[in-house]
Amino acid sequence: MEFLNPAALYGLLALPLLLIPYLIRRKPPRIIFSSLLLFTEPARRAARRPFGRLRLPPIFFLQLLLLTLLVLALGEPVFSVRAAKVAIVLDNSASMQTLEDQQTRFALAQERARGVLADLGATGQVDLYLTVPRLEKVRGVTFGTAEAAGIVGGLEPSDLADAPIDYQKTLSGLAKDQEYDRVYLITDHPALGQADILKVITVGQPRDNYAITSFNISHSSLVGSRLEGTAEVANYSTKDGRIRIVLRAGGGVISSRELVVGAGKTASANFAGLPTHPYYEVEIEAHDALPLDNRRFAVPPASQNFRILGISPRPQALSSLRSIPGVSLDLVAPQDYEKTDRTGYGLEIFHYSTPTALPGNPALYVLPPDNNPFAGLDSPVSQPVVSSWRDPHPLTRYINFALFRPTFSRPLRPRVSGEIILESPAGPLAFATERQGVRQLVLGFDLFPYLGRENLPVSVFTLNLLDWFVQGSGATGRVTGQPLTFGTAQPGNFLLTPRGDKVSLEPGSNRFPATFFQGIYQIDRGTYRELFAVNIDNRNESDLRAPTPIEIRDLSSRGDKFAALFSIWPYLLLLSLLLLFIEWFARPRPVRTAFGPR
Amino acid sequence: MLPEPFTPQFLSQLETLRLRTRKEFLGSQTGSYSSPRRGTSLEFADYRRYSPGDDLRYLDWGIYARSDRLYIKLFREEVDLFAYIFVDASASMACPSPQEKFLPATHIAAALSYVVLANQDHVKLHLLGNSITHAASPFYRGRRRITDCIRFMTSMSPEGPLELATTMAEHLRRMRRPGKAILISDFLMPAASYQQGLNLLRAFNLDIAVIQVLTRLEVDPPFANGSLRLVDSETNAEIGFQWDAVARQEYQTKLRHHNSEIRSFCHQSGIHYSLYVTDLELDDFVFATLPAIGLFK
Repeated sequence: MEFLNPAALYGLLALPLLLIPYLIRRKPPRIIFSSLLLFTEPARRAARRPFGRLRLPPIFFLQLLLLTLLVLALGEPVFSVRAAKVAIVLDNSASMQTLEDQQTRFALAQERARGVLADLGATGQVDLYLTVPRLEKVRGVTFGTAEAAGIVGGLEPSDLADAPIDYQKTLSGLAKDQEYDRVYLITDHPALGQADILKVITVGQPRDNYAITSFNISHSSLVGSRLEGTAEVANYSTKDGRIRIVLRAGGGVISSRELVVGAGKTASANFAGLPTHPYYEVEIEAHDALPLDNRRFAVPPASQNFRILGISPRPQALSSLRSIPGVSLDLVAPQDYEKTDRTGYGLEIFHYSTPTALPGNPALYVLPPDNNPFAGLDSPVSQPVVSSWRDPHPLTRYINFALFRPTFSRPLRPRVSGEIILESPAGPLAFATERQGVRQLVLGFDLFPYLGRENLPVSVFTLNLLDWFVQGSGATGRVTGQPLTFGTAQPGNFLLTPRGDKVSLEPGSNRFPATFFQGIYQIDRGTYRELFAVNIDNRNESDLRAPTPIEIRDLSSRGDKFAALFSIWPYLLLLSLLLLFIEWFARPRPVRTAFGPR
Repeated sequence: MLPEPFTPQFLSQLETLRLRTRKEFLGSQTGSYSSPRRGTSLEFADYRRYSPGDDLRYLDWGIYARSDRLYIKLFREEVDLFAYIFVDASASMACPSPQEKFLPATHIAAALSYVVLANQDHVKLHLLGNSITHAASPFYRGRRRITDCIRFMTSMSPEGPLELATTMAEHLRRMRRPGKAILISDFLMPAASYQQGLNLLRAFNLDIAVIQVLTRLEVDPPFANGSLRLVDSETNAEIGFQWDAVARQEYQTKLRHHNSEIRSFCHQSGIHYSLYVTDLELDDFVFATLPAIGLFK
């Protein structure tokens, strides 16, 4: 027998309260009687005892039974009918690596899963599912219980954040489609409600935790060669904490800081003047619940000089960018673009042109032809006025838009979702978006040539724009589960995962989706290595104080007569009512007597 | 205005009764009770030799004819009766309420008083209570004094503890004439206490009758099962008590034993004893029970 609403069983703890009225009644009515002469000595002895003799009448036991049955009925007891086919859905998100008394939550979940399998018997059929990166059947096959127990033991949690799954809908659909007798979801999220087919098994308790929520390595300025790092530490607990944060690179500690982080707050540590290393790792020295988020990785910006590939039918307009210190520019004609090796560029500028396929590098589109994928262009407007702009935004800082007057513009008609950065009365002039983790900016006016002080507002916008692309390239890490995009792979290129797995890259491929673990991913291109830092998306995973509950309602709408659970609470309720009826008649009525209490 | 039980019919029935005494007393006037002195009643008592000056009407001429000696026939003197009715007026007589216990006791006392008054005898009422002042009435004589009797008995409400022997001694100190004593009480007191009190009455050469008055609620207490705090109505002593069927039975056994002790003592001491449970009709008790124990002629 099990309970669909086990929280109600805490009501059993309240049953001793039933004694209270009887103990209160122990203060007996005071009755004046003619004489105590005939009341015997044993009674006097009883009276001398501190609490007298507690005699519980039979009605007490009837009431106790009545309340017990009511509490049990509220617990919604059900008899499990042995299921033949079940699904076990294991939450393998990053928070399942949380330690619970030397064991991870995932290990506890494995134990619970094995318990479910043991109850199932030898003839049961089991489908195992993992929740991340998406709800998917393990190996795509159905297992026997013995085999499933072995498979469960071999599973491990990933560093991925929780997938946005509507468990109510998804699992009910799964149960219906696959005709499961029961679906067990084993997770670290609490469940609100239960259903007879879907049973949520929660492992772990709310815990305090510290986490590094961001870590960036960047140049101190667009043209500077010095590197600086910024790490942010969050305290997901109810107490202030003093944390030591250590920066490692090249196999040793290169810097450390002491941080005081208030309860529920964040604190930042800055590391300036960092020597150049292929990658950096920052770690907090805290013995907390989730060790995974105590580390974070970052790689420095792709190159010391910002490399730009310009694709333009009028390349001389772009060549003015070379006057900006720290910027190197290669120019190609649009027809030569496909033949060009675009590896190592921090930005591709499509000037009056557009690629046939989305580039792997960040890209700026200046008045692109109408066949570009991001925005259509309206009729030209001479000397447009910028009527509104996004503020604050890295692209619009330090600019006096009253003086910002491009020669002409063509207002944009965005075709994809993104941010409108600048807007004129005729329509948007600048539109930013991000595709596959790569920044894209479309402009409805021509920035070039770069005129420096001669056209200060537009020049400042150009510098902001380059800085924005620098920030978006390389230095900002990726999150687990987000595909890596890189320059087109050549034959013999391979990728090395943080776990040391060597994955050969298909020639021509530019994406690697299986970033399931935190760490440094390296693409070996023979002559050089390209590094990517991948960290967990710990917006929800690190805060272990109050996990989001999973709302479950009754899913028993399968339409067939079979029910995995046989509810007995209606019978208990009926029995309780019967007892209440009996109690109503059995309860002794107060006797009307002249010897009333005085 | 007489209380409810004293209807004309009830009073007429009472007038047919006379108290019976087992002793002879010296009365003050001619009455209907025999006296140890010789007198002029119709009841022959003895002979004595004729002395000059004796009333010749009482010469027994038959003896003179047979023995040639003169003897005078002597007759008993018949005198009036002095009756003392003692009513327990302690707090226990007000329990559970004066209307349920003390009032029936006074009704018995009034009924007995009326019997005495109707025979032109004397009755004096004593209320045995906390205070001795105003606790004894004067002697009443004549049936019209019944209202005074009732007024006297209702003048005092039962309260306080009662030490029977002490209180009785106070009352007896002022007693000058022997007669009939009737004690009406619940006798819910230790045996030694009531025995001392009754022995005092015996010492005063009184012909004694005892009427024990209990309510039905005292005979069979209707307490709900469970814990009780019982308070003694006289002493205010308090005990905790677990009331259940066993305790009820135990109590009733004790009460029966207590009552039989009183009856036994009265029997050994030549005292009339009767138990009146107040749910019994007064006329049934007066006209059936009391004659049965020999209280009336």
